[in-house]
Amino acid sequence: MHINRYTDTLSANQARVLPLVWGVLLLVTLVGIPYLEGLFRWLEPDARQVIYHRADFYTLLGRHVLVVGIAALCTIIVGVLAGIAVTRRRGRDFLPLVGQLASLGQTFPPVAVLALAVPTLGFGTLPIIVALILYGLLPIVRNTLAGLQGVDADIKQSARAMGMTSWQVLRSVELPLAAPVILAGIRTSVTINIATAALGATVGASNLGDPIIAGIVNGNMAYVVQGALLIALLALTVDSIFDFYQKKLYSRLSAS
Amino acid sequence: MIELAHVSKFFGDEAAVDDISLRVAKGKFCALVGTSGCGKSTTLRMINRLIEHSAGDILVDGQNIQSYNPVKLRRRIGYVIQSTGLFPHWTVARNIGLVPRLLKWPRETVLARVEELMNLLGLPVEEFAHKYPHQLSGGQAQRVGVARALAADPDILLMDEPFGALDPITRENLQDELAKLQARLNKTVVFVTHDMDEALKLADHLVVMRSGRIVQQGTPLALLQHPADPFVDSLLGGLERGLKQAALTRVRDHMASLGQTLPAQSRIPAEFSLRQALSMMLRDHCDRLTVVDQQDMPIGELSLRKIVKEAQLDKVGARDAY
Repeated sequence: MHINRYTDTLSANQARVLPLVWGVLLLVTLVGIPYLEGLFRWLEPDARQVIYHRADFYTLLGRHVLVVGIAALCTIIVGVLAGIAVTRRRGRDFLPLVGQLASLGQTFPPVAVLALAVPTLGFGTLPIIVALILYGLLPIVRNTLAGLQGVDADIKQSARAMGMTSWQVLRSVELPLAAPVILAGIRTSVTINIATAALGATVGASNLGDPIIAGIVNGNMAYVVQGALLIALLALTVDSIFDFYQKKLYSRLSAS
Repeated sequence: MIELAHVSKFFGDEAAVDDISLRVAKGKFCALVGTSGCGKSTTLRMINRLIEHSAGDILVDGQNIQSYNPVKLRRRIGYVIQSTGLFPHWTVARNIGLVPRLLKWPRETVLARVEELMNLLGLPVEEFAHKYPHQLSGGQAQRVGVARALAADPDILLMDEPFGALDPITRENLQDELAKLQARLNKTVVFVTHDMDEALKLADHLVVMRSGRIVQQGTPLALLQHPADPFVDSLLGGLERGLKQAALTRVRDHMASLGQTLPAQSRIPAEFSLRQALSMMLRDHCDRLTVVDQQDMPIGELSLRKIVKEAQLDKVGARDAY
């Protein structure tokens, strides 16, 4: 018991510190890349340019975050609402359908979605947002369903028996109790999409995928490393922020 | 007051509850007893419309429950279940204050009421108000469950095997406290249990159910004296029935005034049950006890012969006397 508590506080501290660590590393890398010409020159001695220069990294990062953010917002709204709707009495008939649709979204490769979306939506940011929404829906829908269905039936029944309306039961009982599981789904979805968003560079949505694609096209490893490094650090930062909030939610649920 | 008239509940073709009629007068404690699956919990849940009945009428305070808004109906009926159903993410105090808050009582009134109930149920406010349900023992959690059910001072209390998951000692303590509470608060209680001893101990009115039907109902003593059929008899303990009846009878009602003979050595308070008196006689190898009052002063005498004789008198008219 005593040992448990010790490790708990340790990991809680870690959860608090990690977002800071990764965030600082991301910033340092962002600011530092242009000054590391020597290092990248060593990686790619024959290239004309070793630091990606067609856009500055701040803009690329900003656009990357924006694309993932917009997609995440849409996915969360659609996914959580769909999860809630099909666990209500009236929407129960649609439960299998929604589950299958969400799975279908994830089995469909984002590249294929891009290929199909470009002819209708044109080049740019929109196709990648659509692809990310489809790709990110499954973890959120699945976890919302699991979270809501995991709420103890006796607790829901007694909430109803106390005279709570269905809306009050959902808002004050089901959602708070399902929140950690739903948040875990959002975390998976967003983290995956930070990496997947790089594909947007292939259809002209400029973001941190640009250096990677350009590097592959020109055979310049240094570009690839710069893009990949920033994406990885962004993903780690965001993931650790989610981890922090998830731990906080769990500790509130089993607070002592 | 609760009244069920020819109430049935069908799940598909299956009748879970089959044409039952029963009346619980205001302030009375009614226990529904039967083996699992006999429809007793379904009956209970039909009263606060967690389950809608299929046929018949259910009246609460003389008004058909169909005419109530179900949410409003439930807010005036307390409900306690075996697993407590407390909200794990809420503190004890917040859990207890749920219904008053739903009824939009002023904040201070809710706080005062929560404190009052915690004291009533033996949960010191400083110690428990800010605890979470998982930090409580089973008995403490069920006290919170009862407090939550009583919070808005409902006239009616529905309890679905509330003490079924507790260890025997805690269960007995809570039964005693519930009996005391009921003597003070005079709620109209419908209590579901499969534990006949619990039912005999608490109920004014006993309803025995079997496969969705009421087999027999009446006062505990009436059922003990005249069980309608072998099923009721076996539920009531078969051969143990005599002792269970004795458990419901007080020493005071069977004592004789102090005689000329030397008073017996073993003493028993007048408020104890005949069952305890019989047990004491067996333990102390005697057939007479001195009955004492609360100040331990002798006020009468209890003899085995008299108990047995009067038990026979109680049985006059009984169809199957042992």
